[in-house]
Amino acid sequence: MQETELHDLSDDADYAASQLQGSASMMRSDSISKQSSSSDSDGAEIVYSKDNVTIHPTQFASERIGGRLKLIKQGSSLFMSWIPYKGQSSNARVSEKDRNLYTIRAVPFTEVRSIRRHTPALGWQYIIVVLSSGLAFPPLYFYNGGVKEFLATIKQHVFIVRSSEDANAFLVNDFQNPLQRTLSSLELPRAVSVAIEPSTSFSAGESPSNENQQRIDGGFHNESSSISQYNAKQRQKVHDPRDLSIQVLEKFSLVTKFARETTSQLFREGHGNGYGAIERRNHDQSSFDYPERVSSVKENVPDEIPVPSDPLEKIYCLKHNHVEEAATNLGTFELISCKEVDKLTLVWGKPRQPPLGSEEWVTFLDSEGRIVDSKALRKRVFYGGVEHGLRKEVWALLLGYHSYDSTYAEREYLRSIKKSEYETIKIQWQSISPEQAKRFTKFRERKGLIEKDVVRTDRSFSFYDGDDNTNVNLLRDILLTYSFYNFDLGYCQGMSDLLSPILFVMEDESESFWCFVALMERLGPNFNRDQNGMHSQLFALCKLVELLDSPLHNYFKQNDCLNYFFCFRWILIQFKREFEYEKTMRLWEVLWTHYLSEHLHLYVCVAILKRYRKKIMGEQMDFDTLLKFINELSGRIDLDSILRDAEALCICAGENGAACIPPGTPPSLPVDGLLLYTQQDDVL
Amino acid sequence: MSYAYLFKYIIIGDTGVGKSCLLLQFTDKRFQPVHDLTIGVEFGARMITIDNKPIKLQIWDTAGQESFRSITRSYYRGAAGALLVYDITRRETFNHLASWLEDARQHANANMTIMLIGNKCDLAHRRAVSTEEGEQFAKEHGLIFMEASAKTAQNVEEAFIKTAATIYKKIQDGVFDVSNESYGIKVGYGGIPGPSGGRDGGSAQGGGCCS
Ligand SMILES: Nc1nc2c(ncn2[C@@H]2O[C@H](COP(=O)(O)OP(=O)(O)O)[C@@H](O)[C@H]2O)c(=O)[nH]1
Ligand SMILES: [Mg+2]
Repeated sequence: MQETELHDLSDDADYAASQLQGSASMMRSDSISKQSSSSDSDGAEIVYSKDNVTIHPTQFASERIGGRLKLIKQGSSLFMSWIPYKGQSSNARVSEKDRNLYTIRAVPFTEVRSIRRHTPALGWQYIIVVLSSGLAFPPLYFYNGGVKEFLATIKQHVFIVRSSEDANAFLVNDFQNPLQRTLSSLELPRAVSVAIEPSTSFSAGESPSNENQQRIDGGFHNESSSISQYNAKQRQKVHDPRDLSIQVLEKFSLVTKFARETTSQLFREGHGNGYGAIERRNHDQSSFDYPERVSSVKENVPDEIPVPSDPLEKIYCLKHNHVEEAATNLGTFELISCKEVDKLTLVWGKPRQPPLGSEEWVTFLDSEGRIVDSKALRKRVFYGGVEHGLRKEVWALLLGYHSYDSTYAEREYLRSIKKSEYETIKIQWQSISPEQAKRFTKFRERKGLIEKDVVRTDRSFSFYDGDDNTNVNLLRDILLTYSFYNFDLGYCQGMSDLLSPILFVMEDESESFWCFVALMERLGPNFNRDQNGMHSQLFALCKLVELLDSPLHNYFKQNDCLNYFFCFRWILIQFKREFEYEKTMRLWEVLWTHYLSEHLHLYVCVAILKRYRKKIMGEQMDFDTLLKFINELSGRIDLDSILRDAEALCICAGENGAACIPPGTPPSLPVDGLLLYTQQDDVL
Repeated sequence: MSYAYLFKYIIIGDTGVGKSCLLLQFTDKRFQPVHDLTIGVEFGARMITIDNKPIKLQIWDTAGQESFRSITRSYYRGAAGALLVYDITRRETFNHLASWLEDARQHANANMTIMLIGNKCDLAHRRAVSTEEGEQFAKEHGLIFMEASAKTAQNVEEAFIKTAATIYKKIQDGVFDVSNESYGIKVGYGGIPGPSGGRDGGSAQGGGCCS
């Protein structure tokens, strides 16, 4: 308890004071003070200052924190700071606490890896600053412009080059080998999480006294975790507050307490005791993992690794307050706590239900065919999926091709409109003559690639087998039409895997096309040439594992596996190759409900990894072995139990889980909404 | 099964050149034109014998599309051998060899043995790259070269074994520190390199198969 208090200082007066002190020291810099830090007496000069540079803690522009962005030169070093305005609340929902959390106090450019500029056609320009640690600050929106100046000013003071991969990315301190660096940046997530590593924070300004330092570090630890909660708020909107399972957990403060607790655990170092009791007690069943254990994990593999005795059923979460038992009358979760100082809570995902059948389906519809309560429908599908015969109707709704409040008649009408629209796009490539094709390399390449791939897509499945199968030709036509509909994205391998079940379900060319379009609105970034969408998901996955299984995270770290490339195929095509056809369809409809999270697929990844954690760590798998092992899991994963685990993990992780996932991470709709696949010409 | 050595191979080259078919032909001795395209990476393994020693080949078959290059690069780590494949009926797959080679040179260990394979040589009537051009390219870049067909199995066995024999020879010559796994070699039972005769096993004739 005491430990937690120490590390949760956000509401603490001293903490607030230390925050003030932090900004005060910067203010001294602002006024070009001579009494600057003890280590550096050169004084500081503001070389750039911009007002109304704003952070959006959520994706809703109404919730924002305005502030001033500055570049400060001190000696030969350049620092960046962003201090929110005090007491000028744009929105009641943005608390003073948030304001403090997002503050960027003098970060030296030696710790900046790259800056990526985003210039949406509509809306404000923003930048994302990525630190050398690979972590990043939340997007800074320039309400009054000035991105160009900002970059130009930096250029005057530090070495900065444009990435050859991405015209809008600028690499800082890239002395050695720009090419090398650019390549290696590909292996890292682009603009992602927002946690600030403690060590990167207090570099300018005075060094506080020891005691203060401790305090401040504590504050930063807390800040690091909480700062990234901006996404969580958005998530809460996805959740219906009346949702019972969430309510149960919130009632016992599980979500928030767990989140806060876990994160302060994650950032705490050198604290080696206090949990032995739980560990001993749960030695053979606890999957509960503490960073403190890492060192011993390394030495004592495999026996000392705490793993669940029955990993198929149980996931444990730490809970901090006093709940003896909270078995719910809803039957959704069972919460059991141990009688230790820190309680252990056990959460099972709800048992899976039989798929939604037609009798029950009509109860969701009003007389004209509208879905009366779309949330209830999504929940039902989340827990059980849909009978195959209903998929045609339900998928179109889940994917967003038809809206929930459309009537039968409206849907029918839309179908006919969309059919002719599809034909119009299709004719664009159909009308290309051989003569024209000769002069249209890109078209020939795409067509060639698609033709090669559709004959290598699910051919062992009866719907697509045999020579000259018409469905294979439909796959080709739809993909080629899509590559004209979205010419910027074009065609990329993996798309045929995503289209295949859709065509199988929809059984109609135009309908399949539009459902595919709807799916690609969300998954398109998976296929970006620069793999941005994939990297941001792999990065979020990394953060989630860190949150939910820190020994496993540390294991991956020690074994150079943090790129999570072994999960690449899972994410790229939504586990299509990991399950048999029917199971894949089941999983997809569950994922598409976005019921607990838009990113349930990441929790599915965590659930699978957790299930095999003992094997992975026990056998000391290196990257190659792990990749091979994961590949060979294909066809051997039990979907229902993994879904239950994923559900439980998602609820366990709560806000902090959501905060691991940066805004715009697929399958979220892109933050910019526009210009997904183009790169802008540029200025600097 | 126990082995004296385990070699990691990686198969690279443009999509559709027949990488997966070559692997399947080598591991299962069959040609299956109907199979799924490769996403990410797939694995195959087979035991061979060189110099009377059992050697296990662990083969990584990669996805060839450009977008996946950054992922593919991470697979080079610790590969002892690479099969760089092009399709003799599609000129562009030959034209892209240089960029594949550059990736390999940058991301693999410098002593990786590279075998250049001109695949689909059963389709001689549709040939777009001559055997001489393949040979020339291989010579310029210090690669071993063969034309092969995953369909007829011609030279498939030979390509994999010749590569292994070359690696084995390098071990005998002390080129590798085999205890360092970054070379893509694991030593198993009886695999401690000794001053054995160094007779290359396997068939080792190179060159075109269907000129
Ligand atoms: N005629 C012929 N066709 C081949 C040969 N190897 C592969 N193919 C065909 O080329 C297509 C692509 O092969 P695949 O192994 O999937 O290519 P990959 O993308 O490089 O793995 C397959 O559909 C095969 O039918 C070959 O040696 N001869
Ligand atoms: Mg392949």
